[in-house]
Amino acid sequence: MVGYLIRRVLLGLLTLLLITMVIYALIRAMPGNPLATDAAMMNPENMPSEEDIQRMQAAYGLDKSIPEAYIHWLTNMVRGDFGSSFAEKKPVLDVIGSRVTNTLLLTVPSLILAYLLAIPIGLFSTWRSGKADERLVGVGLYMLYAIPSFIAALFLQLLFAVKLDGTAFELPLMGIRSDEYETLTSTQKAWDWLKHMILPVISFTYVSLAYYSRFIKANMEEVVRQDYIRTAKAKGLGPLRIMIHHAFRNTLIPFVTLLGLSLPALLGGAIILEQIFNWPGMGQLYFRSILTRDYPVIMGLTFALSVLTLLGQLLADMLYAFVDPRISYK
Amino acid sequence: MNQTNTTNESKKSPGFWRHAWLRFRRKKLSMCALIVVLCLSLIAVCSPMIAGTKPIVCKYKGNLYFPCMAYFNPDWENPIFQKDRFRKRYPKNLKEKDPESWAIWPLIFQDPYRPVRDNEWGDRPGNPFNGGKPSSLNLFGTSKGKDVLAMMVHGTRIALLVGFVSTGIAAAIGIVVGAIAGYFGGWIDIIISRIIELVMCIPSIVLILALIAVIEKPTIWHMMAILGFTSWTGMARLTRAEFLKLKESEFVAAARSIGAGPFRIMFRHILPNSLAPVMVPIVFGIAAAIKVEAGLSLLGFGAPPPNPSWGTILNAGMTNYTEWWQIVFPGIAIFITILAYNLIGEGLQEATDPRLADPKD
Repeated sequence: MVGYLIRRVLLGLLTLLLITMVIYALIRAMPGNPLATDAAMMNPENMPSEEDIQRMQAAYGLDKSIPEAYIHWLTNMVRGDFGSSFAEKKPVLDVIGSRVTNTLLLTVPSLILAYLLAIPIGLFSTWRSGKADERLVGVGLYMLYAIPSFIAALFLQLLFAVKLDGTAFELPLMGIRSDEYETLTSTQKAWDWLKHMILPVISFTYVSLAYYSRFIKANMEEVVRQDYIRTAKAKGLGPLRIMIHHAFRNTLIPFVTLLGLSLPALLGGAIILEQIFNWPGMGQLYFRSILTRDYPVIMGLTFALSVLTLLGQLLADMLYAFVDPRISYK
Repeated sequence: MNQTNTTNESKKSPGFWRHAWLRFRRKKLSMCALIVVLCLSLIAVCSPMIAGTKPIVCKYKGNLYFPCMAYFNPDWENPIFQKDRFRKRYPKNLKEKDPESWAIWPLIFQDPYRPVRDNEWGDRPGNPFNGGKPSSLNLFGTSKGKDVLAMMVHGTRIALLVGFVSTGIAAAIGIVVGAIAGYFGGWIDIIISRIIELVMCIPSIVLILALIAVIEKPTIWHMMAILGFTSWTGMARLTRAEFLKLKESEFVAAARSIGAGPFRIMFRHILPNSLAPVMVPIVFGIAAAIKVEAGLSLLGFGAPPPNPSWGTILNAGMTNYTEWWQIVFPGIAIFITILAYNLIGEGLQEATDPRLADPKD
C-alpha cells in the first residue's frame, strides 16, 4: 500500500510538472502581453517611455525566454512563492484566497444538495421502476440533463429576476450582495447573502443532480437482480429495508469514486456560470486573468486545480480499496 | 445459376449493424430523435433558402444566377452583382437594373448578418433596432436589429458543423491513438496512457480558452479544431481497452498467420469489431461539442461576430435581459438538439449492447 502510494505521488508530481509546462508555454504564446492590456498603459497622454517598458518587463520577468521564465516560476513556486498578480498588484495567493470562499459558498451547498436529493430520487426510481410516476421522474431528469447549466441559469434569471421582478418571489439578477449591503442589519445581511445564492446554487446543483440520480438508479438496477436480494426477500424483509440495507450499500462503491472526482469541481466552480451571475469566484478570476494575460494568476490557478484533480483521482482509488475489500493495491 | 444466388443471399443472416438498426428502430423515442436531427440537418442545408435577403434563383440580364449560395461561401456570389453595385439590396436593384428579371425568394426575407431597412422589400418597414419584440415580421424578435429567426436558421448550420467536425477530429485522433496503444502495448502503451492522463488532468475549458487566446483571429473552423483536439481522450481510452481485449482473439491470430501487417490487422480486422462501443461516445460527443461551442460563444470567446451561432445570440441577450426572446428561443434550440443527440446515443447504446440482445432476433 505504501509503495503504491509513493509511486502514485511520484507519478502525480511528474504529471503536474508536465501540465504546468504545457500551460505556461501556451499562455506565453498568446498574442499580447499583460502590459498591453493594462488600461493605464493605453492612456495616450501618458505613454510610458521605452526604458519604462523595459524596466517593467524585467520586473515582470517578461524579458526572459519561455523556458527560462518557466524554470524561474518553478523554483519560486517550490519555495511557496507564486509571484504577484499583474492586474491587482497583490501576491497571487492573496488574490486566489480572497475568492476561494465565494466559490465554496456556491459549490459546497450545491454538492451537498445534489447528494441529499439524488439518493432518495435514485432509490425511489428503483423502487417504482417501470411505474408511471417513476417514468415521469425519469423523463423529467432526462430533460433536465439535456439543458446545459448556463441555459438553465439564463432561464432562471429571466423568470425570477425579470418576470417576477417586484413580486414576493423576486430574486437578484447577479452579483454577490446588494448595493446597500453596508447599511443592513446582520439578519438582513444574511438574508441578502442567501437571496443572491439561490439562483447560482440551483444552476450548479441540477446538472449533477440529474447525473447522480441516474447513476444511482443504473447501479441499483444491477444490484437488485443479485441472488442475495432474492434471499433477503425470501426471508420476508420489507422493501425499504432491502432497498437501503442490502441493495444501496452495495452501490456505494462506484458512488464514492464519483465523490473523489467531484473534488476539483468544488474549487474550479464553473467559469461560465460565475460569469453569468457575475460571481467573484475562482472561475471568474480564471476567465479575467486569461483576458488580461495575468500569467502568475493563471499559473497559480492551474496549479491548484491540477493538484486537486490528481488528489481527487488518488482519493477515489483509495476509497475504492477501502469500501471494496476485494481490491488491494500492492 | 442466378436463381441459386438470390436464394443464398436471402438466407444469409443479417449482420451486426443490421441487427443493431432493427433494434434501434423499435425505440420510438430514439427514432423521433433521429428524425429531429435529420430535420435540423435539412434546415442547415437549406438555410439560405429558408431565411435570407438574396434570391434563391434569379434571371438577370438573360442569365440564371444563384445568389443565395453566398451564405455558404461569400466567393460563390457571382461578381456581376458586385460590378452592378447591388450592395446586397437585391429586390429593388433587380427591378431597376433589369425590368425583365425575375427571382424566387427565400421563405423569410430577413438576413442573419444585418438588419433589414425600411422599404427594402416593397414598402415593408425595417427591423426595429431596440426592443424588437416578436411580431409578424420578426417571428422570434430582433437582436440589435437582426432577425433572430434568420440567425437561428443559419445558426443551425454552425451547430451541426461544430458537432460533426469537432467530434470527427476527436474520434479520428482517439481511435488511432487508442488503437496504437492497445495493439502494440509495452512501452508505447505506457507513454500513450501517460499522455492521455495528462490531457485528462487539464481542465478542458481552461485548455480551450488558452488555445483560443493563442489564435489571433479565431474562426469557427479554429473552434472546431480546438474542440476536437481537446476531447479525444475518452474515445482513446475506450478504443485502447477494446483493442487490448480483441488482439488476443482467434481472428487476429488467423490474420497474422496469413501474413497481414500490423496496420492491416488494426484497421481492417480489429477496428470494425470494436466500433460499436466507440460509436456511443461519439454520438454523446456531438452533443457535448454543441454545448461547449454555445457556452464559449456565450462568453464572447466563440467565432467573432457576425456569426449567427446560437451562443452568440445568447451573448447578445445577456446584455439586456428584458429582451427575453434572445435567450428563450436559442436556449430551446440548444436544448432540443442536445436532447436529440442524447436520445440517439442512448438508443444506439441499447441497440449495440450484446447483453441486451433479444434472443429471438
